[in-house]
Amino acid sequence: MTRGDEDLVASARQGDRRAFEELVDRHERRAYHIAFDFTRNREDAKDLSQEAFLKAFINLKNFDGRSSFYTWFYRIIVNLCLDYKRRQKRAPADTFDERVENQVEPSHEPEKTRSPDQDVMARQISRAIGAALETLPARQRTAFVLKNHQGLSIKEIAELMETAEGTVKVHLHRAVTALRERLAEFA
Amino acid sequence: MTEQINTLINACGEMEENLVLFHYGDLRGAERNAVQAHVNNCAGCTAYLKHLNTLLPLTRQVDNPPPEFWTHYNRELREKLDSVAEKKSWRQSFVDFFQPRWVPVLAMAAVFTLALTFTLGKGMWSNNDPAKEDVAIMELMPVAENLDFFASMDVLDDLDLLESMGSQGNAA
Repeated sequence: MTRGDEDLVASARQGDRRAFEELVDRHERRAYHIAFDFTRNREDAKDLSQEAFLKAFINLKNFDGRSSFYTWFYRIIVNLCLDYKRRQKRAPADTFDERVENQVEPSHEPEKTRSPDQDVMARQISRAIGAALETLPARQRTAFVLKNHQGLSIKEIAELMETAEGTVKVHLHRAVTALRERLAEFA
Repeated sequence: MTEQINTLINACGEMEENLVLFHYGDLRGAERNAVQAHVNNCAGCTAYLKHLNTLLPLTRQVDNPPPEFWTHYNRELREKLDSVAEKKSWRQSFVDFFQPRWVPVLAMAAVFTLALTFTLGKGMWSNNDPAKEDVAIMELMPVAENLDFFASMDVLDDLDLLESMGSQGNAA
């Protein structure tokens, strides 16, 4: 029988390391993908998602169970990602990492069926999307990534961002409007 | 493409936010039906929704790392967890030592030690070095004790003086 997150958290709080590792196995891929949605860099996404697990492990005793483990943990990872973005803004870097273009592709198209022309187009789209996402304010980007990429409900996003559902809707609408304007040529 | 940029479709202003939620399937019941009914009768909102349906999936970037990545990811994370757990246990034992149950015991021990120190070590740390004033008094003490002797010496001096004066008178 599969144990629930809360059950595993309770065991992990008692010092059961295997219970925590089960939580890791359960959430690592999603955690990685959230981090990747923010960083668009495989190595950074790996580091950030691992850091989130370590933070969760250290602070598990502070988890009061008012929200689900899922919400609590993803709040940790989103905050780490936002810190990462802030640090990146302070340290001027390339707006888009070349490595990202080579390792990701837009989800609408399977990689192996592409012609070289399509490949170039996909890279152009990827670069433009990366640049457009970069220009979004942190909270708009968070709401957008969690909705558009992760498929979380408005309620879940509101809990995660510790804000009202109405505010999330406003952030999401503004993000979509901004992206529509910047990416109009690809639609 | 340029043409498309210049002719960005606009939906009815008050509907836009709901159209975004409609696109993501976040509207339920009456709200959803109302938007659906509006879209059915509004070319602008229909085009806007179509634009969202085409554009937003493009923004999703899928990263599918190879299986080796996940093997490495897991191994690395477990190593990091080991290291954190080790530090945590060391810190925990330190914190445990100062748990509330130990506070009264430690306080009692401290009071007992202080009491023993004051009882058994009384005078142990008294200062044996005399102060400056004490040194001066100590130097004067022998003089004070022999005052009578010095007084008698003065008398003898006086006698000597008288004797010499007498012998000078006789000679004259």
